[in-house]
Amino acid sequence: MIASSARRQTGAGQMTAVVLFLPPAILLFTLFVVLPIVEAAWYGNYSWNGFGTPTNWVGFDNYRYVFEARAFGLALRNNVLIIVVSLLIQLPLALTLALMLAEKFRGAVALRMLFFLPYVLAEVATGLIFSFVYDGDYGLLASIYRVFGAEAPHLLASTQTSMLAILIVVVWKYFGFHMMLFIAALQGQDRNLIEAARIDGASRWQALRYVSIPLLYPTIRLSIFFAVVGSLQLFDLVMPLTRGGPADSSQTMVSFLYSHGVTRMRIGYGSAIGVILFVICATFAITYKRWFMRDE
Amino acid sequence: MNEPVRIGRRPPELATLYRVLFLTVVAAFVAVPLLATVLGGFKSLGELRTNPFGLPSEWEWENYADILTSRRYWRMLGNSFAISTMTSALALVVASMAAFVFAHLRFFGSRMLLNYFTMGLLFPAATAILPLFIKVRDLGLLDTYFGVVLPQVAFALAMSILLFRRFFKDLPTELLEAALVDGCTYPKFFRFVTLPLSRPILATVGTITFVHSWNAYLVPLVMLNSDSMYPWPLGIMVYQGEYTSDWHLILAFITLTILPTFLLFVFAQKHIVAGLTAGAVKG
Amino acid sequence: MNALNRSLLAGVALAFSAGTSLAQTTVKWLHLEVNPAQIKIWEEVAREFEAKNPGTKVEMQFLENESYKAKLPTLLQSNDRPHIIYSWAGGVLKAQVEAGVLQDISSQIGDVRDTISPAALAAFTVNGKTYGLPHAQSQTGFLYNKELMAKGSVDGSTIKTWEDLLGAVRKLKAAGVTPITVGGGDKWPLHFYWTNLAVRIGGKAAFEAALQGKDGGFEGETFQKAGEYMKQLVDLQPFQNGFLGFKNPQSTGFFGDGKAAMSLVISTVYHQQKALAADKVGITDDKLGWFDFPTVPGGKGAASDTLGGINGWLLTRGAPKTALDFVKHFVSKDVQMRLAGANFLIPVVKGADAGINNAFMRNIAQNLARSGYHQNFYDQDLGPSVGRVVNDATAELAGGSMTPRQVAKAVQDAWKQGN
Repeated sequence: MIASSARRQTGAGQMTAVVLFLPPAILLFTLFVVLPIVEAAWYGNYSWNGFGTPTNWVGFDNYRYVFEARAFGLALRNNVLIIVVSLLIQLPLALTLALMLAEKFRGAVALRMLFFLPYVLAEVATGLIFSFVYDGDYGLLASIYRVFGAEAPHLLASTQTSMLAILIVVVWKYFGFHMMLFIAALQGQDRNLIEAARIDGASRWQALRYVSIPLLYPTIRLSIFFAVVGSLQLFDLVMPLTRGGPADSSQTMVSFLYSHGVTRMRIGYGSAIGVILFVICATFAITYKRWFMRDE
Repeated sequence: MNEPVRIGRRPPELATLYRVLFLTVVAAFVAVPLLATVLGGFKSLGELRTNPFGLPSEWEWENYADILTSRRYWRMLGNSFAISTMTSALALVVASMAAFVFAHLRFFGSRMLLNYFTMGLLFPAATAILPLFIKVRDLGLLDTYFGVVLPQVAFALAMSILLFRRFFKDLPTELLEAALVDGCTYPKFFRFVTLPLSRPILATVGTITFVHSWNAYLVPLVMLNSDSMYPWPLGIMVYQGEYTSDWHLILAFITLTILPTFLLFVFAQKHIVAGLTAGAVKG
Repeated sequence: MNALNRSLLAGVALAFSAGTSLAQTTVKWLHLEVNPAQIKIWEEVAREFEAKNPGTKVEMQFLENESYKAKLPTLLQSNDRPHIIYSWAGGVLKAQVEAGVLQDISSQIGDVRDTISPAALAAFTVNGKTYGLPHAQSQTGFLYNKELMAKGSVDGSTIKTWEDLLGAVRKLKAAGVTPITVGGGDKWPLHFYWTNLAVRIGGKAAFEAALQGKDGGFEGETFQKAGEYMKQLVDLQPFQNGFLGFKNPQSTGFFGDGKAAMSLVISTVYHQQKALAADKVGITDDKLGWFDFPTVPGGKGAASDTLGGINGWLLTRGAPKTALDFVKHFVSKDVQMRLAGANFLIPVVKGADAGINNAFMRNIAQNLARSGYHQNFYDQDLGPSVGRVVNDATAELAGGSMTPRQVAKAVQDAWKQGN
């Protein structure tokens, strides 16, 4: 808060600052973030290959084609799967590790860093590393199978297992991030509360269950939020592993948009997918914040 | 000795054992693919097949040496470095200026304008990638660094502005008041007081935008055409397309391309962890 | 702030210096070739051209086949697009012409027009205007490994009918040999089956009827039957383990490593399998065989009909004249003879096939010369968007997630939606 006297004196200075400081951000943001999404809503009604101006108005046909596409259904299913795995496997794993590694012991910091490392690596590199791991011929998995005299499964090549293979990589890559969130929150907790509970006769487990974890609820809600948002934009990881295949079995919303919209230059169709994705993202973000993250 | 073991409480040694076991398994899960990648780059293709986990029987240094002496490797890293540096520098400048206004000045519509920027948190760049492509094309920026940099900066703005704004608001307000009374202008105050005091947040935001840009794939993939402009995530995919099953070369290439990230991570752990989890503290 | 400013400026400076070139003409040439031995000749050709034309630089750019197809639509929209791009002609070419990204070179090729096979040149001509020059043709058919075939007591040269092929697959499987390898991850290698079958079942007439929407279009009997025949094969599980994850170069390498008995491929795989084999030797000529795609009972197509490509180089709009000069040089008889002599291609320049110096490629050349109906690859011929659907759908058929009827319907639906 600025003292009112000062504000009066510098009314003109204020305007200078506003006029000088805001336009670059407004311009960039409007041009590259807001306009494109507005244009997507517009292009979505045309059949257009990007050359000239869109003239072939098709109304809601593009949306109908999207909803009728088998790949779209699979992409949606896969995005839900990623969220489910994030909640049921990644989150408990991250929380358990955080509880172990928030304490001080030799090697704790090194382990934290090791677990966080995959998060820092690029998705593309991660995808390539795992396409090696899963390679049916030269891969790590294949050689383990060979030790037991069995023929290696090609996880990425089967419609049944391709998504499973990707889910494993998703956990590998992102659990460390969620773990770090929990560790940061745990270290911010008031140790006295836990001490007090212990003095009152609570077991370690009880102190954890009834004091530490409830204090983590806001972080857990946040972690869920990130898991969902992350799932909705998953793309880079999928490309080197499966490109959404085989037979669209590992398509995500964004890879579907890329392979069926961008690479075919179907601007209208791709824009329609984008609009649907936008509606899903925005609806989720707004409702989730309203319902679960009110206080934060 | 004869004390009955209480149910629900194992002897501490056992608990520790379980914990060590669990941590070892997870550590192996994380580390083995990475180590196998690094070591795989030192093997011949034949050995990779028979001995994927162990140390190479013969260290094939030329796999790495050939890449390190190739132009394409350095060109890729150079492109990535240029794009990421420009992205984070531009994001820092533009976002901090806007955030300064939002932190210290009230004017008609300022609240609305801030909400306008917050919209950027709602959806990823991928949703509007096709119109974004058309826009960049119409601006004549396809296949230029700026065609990648400007959209990346724009999509980084929302988060960056919020982070800066909160930090600026937490700076002691007496400073600003005193300075204004002394006749200092807002731009001067921003330049000579706010920014020097904001090193930590500059480092944090700079790290986030740099790392995101360094790793980015989709926007460069759509905007860039010539391989002389490719940043490394695109370059490595081309390399893989070229060498398909020569996994020993691909692994060496992966290792060398993630090396800069790894080094940065080791030397700037604090900023990176803080930076990448900072966005989280305020969603 | 100063440091920031400086790094920003440095970045801007870098951006500009990276984009500009020296004061000479640079011809940007985008290709897909993976065989280093062939690229070596191409590079020699480029260097010769540079030597003959001072101030010219030919810059080669590579993209892997599937990445190229994915990249092309965005690539062409840039003002900085490469001057020379690879093409399979067909509907994709038409779409590019309609988009106005190509250069009409009709009036500038007077000197080479008569040297090139008219059919090949026609493939690069849309509405009377020529946009590029062809440089090679190819045929799809089965490449086989004689040693592996012998293990299953199969003689590749006797496979004439679809039933022969199915029988061979059964025998090979019984003998523990992987009958066929295919790059199913890239999808298009799988569409070879469906389209070859359609060529055999319906011949030229069926395809042209489908284009005009007659006889049920691509949902008609010919195309449903093509799917049914393909399914007969798929049901035998003839492909290598994990075939839906194999990219085409991987599959080619797999064949070159002697891990599968057969592969339905473009004739150029003859040399590519050598380059992509782990030992860089691959299957040597004495162990390598070829048979044309088998016939089906009651098929209306002639056994001599072929499915394959006519490949060439397109000039994009705004390409310098030197770029066209280079393409002309590239399709000159001398260069074509050299490439044919190394058995990399079946030339399109008249008389250059005299350069072919082995039996394998000579056989392909004869097949193409005899062919009464040479069908271009569907995924190219039907245009960018429909072509992709053909690939998607046939890959799903191979993966068991679509029925023959659904495949035909998907293609017809896409055809109706247009590109």
